[in-house]
Amino acid sequence: MLLALLMCYAGFTALCLSTDRHHGELLHSKPSPQRRVGLRAAGWLLLALSIWPAVALGGWSRGLVEWCAVLMLSALLLVLLLPYRPRLALILAGVGLLASPVAALAIL
Amino acid sequence: MKEGFRQAMAWLHTWSGLIFGWLLFAIFLTGTLSYFKDEISHWMQPEVQAYPLDSARSLGVAQTYLQQVAPTAARWFINLPDDRDPALTVMWQDKLDPGRRGNFIQKTLDPVTGQDVQARESMGGEFFYRFHFQLQMPHPWGRWLSTIAAMVMFVALITGIITHKKIFKDFFTFRPRKGQRSWLDGHNAVGVLVLPFHLMITYSSLVIFMSMVMPAPILASYAGDTRAFFNDVFPATNNAPAQGQPGKLLPLLPMYEQARAQWDGGHVGRLGVNNPSDVNASVNVFRASSDNVVHEFDSIVSFSGTSGELLRTSAGQSLPAIIGGSFYGLHMGQFAGPVLRWLYFICGLAGTAMIGTGLVIWLGKRQLKHAKSGVMPFELRLVEVLNIASMSGLMIAIAAFFWANRLLPVGFAERSAWEVQTFFMAWGVSLLHAVLRRGRQGWVEQLSVGALLFVAIPLLNALTTSHHLGVSLATGDWAMAGFDLTCLASGVFLAWAAWKTQHRAAPQTRAGRARSLTLKQEAN
Amino acid sequence: MKSKTSLALPYRLAVTSRVLAAVVGGYLMASLAAICLALWMPTSRADAVITGMMSSFVFYLLAVLWCFACRTAWRAWFGVMLPSAAFATLAGVGLWMART
Repeated sequence: MLLALLMCYAGFTALCLSTDRHHGELLHSKPSPQRRVGLRAAGWLLLALSIWPAVALGGWSRGLVEWCAVLMLSALLLVLLLPYRPRLALILAGVGLLASPVAALAIL
Repeated sequence: MKEGFRQAMAWLHTWSGLIFGWLLFAIFLTGTLSYFKDEISHWMQPEVQAYPLDSARSLGVAQTYLQQVAPTAARWFINLPDDRDPALTVMWQDKLDPGRRGNFIQKTLDPVTGQDVQARESMGGEFFYRFHFQLQMPHPWGRWLSTIAAMVMFVALITGIITHKKIFKDFFTFRPRKGQRSWLDGHNAVGVLVLPFHLMITYSSLVIFMSMVMPAPILASYAGDTRAFFNDVFPATNNAPAQGQPGKLLPLLPMYEQARAQWDGGHVGRLGVNNPSDVNASVNVFRASSDNVVHEFDSIVSFSGTSGELLRTSAGQSLPAIIGGSFYGLHMGQFAGPVLRWLYFICGLAGTAMIGTGLVIWLGKRQLKHAKSGVMPFELRLVEVLNIASMSGLMIAIAAFFWANRLLPVGFAERSAWEVQTFFMAWGVSLLHAVLRRGRQGWVEQLSVGALLFVAIPLLNALTTSHHLGVSLATGDWAMAGFDLTCLASGVFLAWAAWKTQHRAAPQTRAGRARSLTLKQEAN
Repeated sequence: MKSKTSLALPYRLAVTSRVLAAVVGGYLMASLAAICLALWMPTSRADAVITGMMSSFVFYLLAVLWCFACRTAWRAWFGVMLPSAAFATLAGVGLWMART
C-alpha cells in the first residue's frame, strides 16, 4: 500500500499545483500554460498508475478497495497539510516520488 | 422553490441535514467505533485470554462442552477464535419457533481448558455495533429509523454535491482561522475528499436492510411467499427438520477440514449444528467473512451430522448476488487487515466530522443575525442544545461506558446492562447540562469533561486491571495498547477543541465588524 | 426563505405537500419501479428481485429531488404519480403475463 500512497499523494500534489490559486500560494508564481498541462498530465498519470501496486499485491477486489482508501486519505492529508505546512506538503511529495522506485522494488 | 435548481437542492440539503443530522452523527460515530468492535471487546473483557490459534483443539473443546450442556438443543453455534477476536463462543437455542426471533444462550469458553471463562459480563464493542443500526429501540423500529436516516443521508449527500458549485475548483481548498468560512471549507473537505466512502457506506446500508424496507418486489414476484424468496437466496439455511429419532453426532473436525478444502484453504468463521441429537442432524460450516471483499451469502458447506456425508457446497454467485454481496462486504469491512481497518476508521471519522461541521454551520450562519440582541429565538436555542448534546454529549457517554466497564464490580450480575445504562444516563445528563448552560459555556464544559474522561482512561485501566499500557506494549497486545492510546489521543483532541472554543472571538455581526474596523482606523 | 411571506401558511402547506409527495409518493414510485424490474428482468426470480430492491433507492432519490426541484407542489405530485402509474401498468402486464 505504501507505493500506492506515495504515488497518489504525489499525483494530487501535481494536480493541486496545476491550479492558479494553489500554484500561487505554494510557489509564488503563476503557472505557465505548458507547466499547467504538464502538471495535470503528471498528476492524473500518477493517480492512474497507482492502481497497479495496489492490485498487484492484493488482487482486484482487495486491491481496488485499498487503492480507493489510499486515494481518499492521501487527498485528505494533502489538503490538511497545505494551509499549515505548505513547504512540508511539497517536500513530502518530492520525497515520495524519490522513494517510489525503492517501494516498487519491494513489490517486484 | 422558484429560485432555481441549485438553490432548491441547497434548501433540501440544509433541512434534511439538520433534521436527521443529530441522529446521523450518532449512527456514524458508533458505526465508526464498530470497525474496532473486537478490539474494544478485548479491552472491555481483558479476562478472555488470547492463545495461539488451534482450530482443532477449539472445535473439540466446543463440541464436548455443547454435548454435555445442551445435547437436546434445537441449534448450536460455534464461533471459532480468529486473530482479532480471541474468544471461543458457543451458543445454543433450545427450541426453534419459525418466525419468532430466537433466544440464544451464549457462553465464552477457554479453548485450552474447555471451561466457562469467568470474564466480566459486558456487551463490549458489540454495543456500538448494534446501537448504530438498532438505536436501542425494540425490533424492528430501530432498524426502520436507521434505514430512513440512511435514505435521508443519501439525499443529503447528492444534494450536497449538486449544491457545491466549485467542487473541482475548491477541491484542495481549506482556509483555517477564517471563522464560518473555515467551517464550510472543512465540511467540504471531509465531504468531497472522502466522497467514495460516504456514498458507499450510505447506499450499502440501504441495501443491507432492503428486504425489510422495500419488500414490494418480493411480494409481487413470489406472490407473498417471502419464505420461498429467502430459501432461494440462502439455500443452505433450508435445513432438514428433526425426525424425532436419536442419532449420534460425529466429530466436527473432519467436516471443518473438508469445508476448508472446498474453499481452497479459505477460513471458517463459524459452525452451526441443527438438531444435534437427532438422526437428521445437519452441520453448516460458514466461511469467514474476512476471506473476501464480496460477502458470499452462500459460502456454506453442509454435512449430515450423523453420516458425515457432504450434502451441499456453495455454488457460484450470480451477478446481482455479487453486487449485493459487495455492498454488504464493503460496508462491514471484515476483510480489512490492520492498516485498511484504520483507514476505514479514519474515513468513518471524516463522515462523522462532515455531519458535525454541517450542524455547526447551520447554526452559526443563523446565529450571526442574532448576535447583537444576545437573545436567541427558541428554534435556534433548540438546535444549539441538540448540537451540544448529540456531539459532545455523545462523546461523554462513550467515555462513561468505558469508565463503567472498569468501575463496576467484575462479579456484579447485571453489570452488562448497567454499563449500557451508564451510557444513556451520561448522555441524558449532558442534554440537561446543555439546556441549563449558555451555548459556548455548554460546549467548553462538555468538551473539557469529555477530554478529562478520555485522557484518564489509560490511567483508570492501570488502576483497575493488570493490562495497562506498560504491560500491553511489552507483551505486544496491540489491541489493548491501541485502545488506551486512542482514548488518550481522543482526550487530547477534545481538550484542544475545548481550548479553541473558549478562546475564539465572539461572533460579530457585519455592523459590529465594520465598527471595530473604523475604530482601529481611527486609533491609527 | 427569510422574508415575512415565506413563513405564511400557503408556503408551509406547499412545503408539506412536497415533503409528502417526496416521502410517500417517492416510496410508492420506488416500490413500483422495483416490482417492474423484478417482473421483467430476464434473470432468475431471486436475482430479479434483488436487482429490483437494490435499484429502488435510486428511483426514490430521483423522486425526492424532483419534488423539490420542480416549480410547484402540484408538479411534484404529478411528476411522481405519472411514472408510478406507468410502472404500475408495466407491473400489471408483467403479472398478467406470468400468470398465463
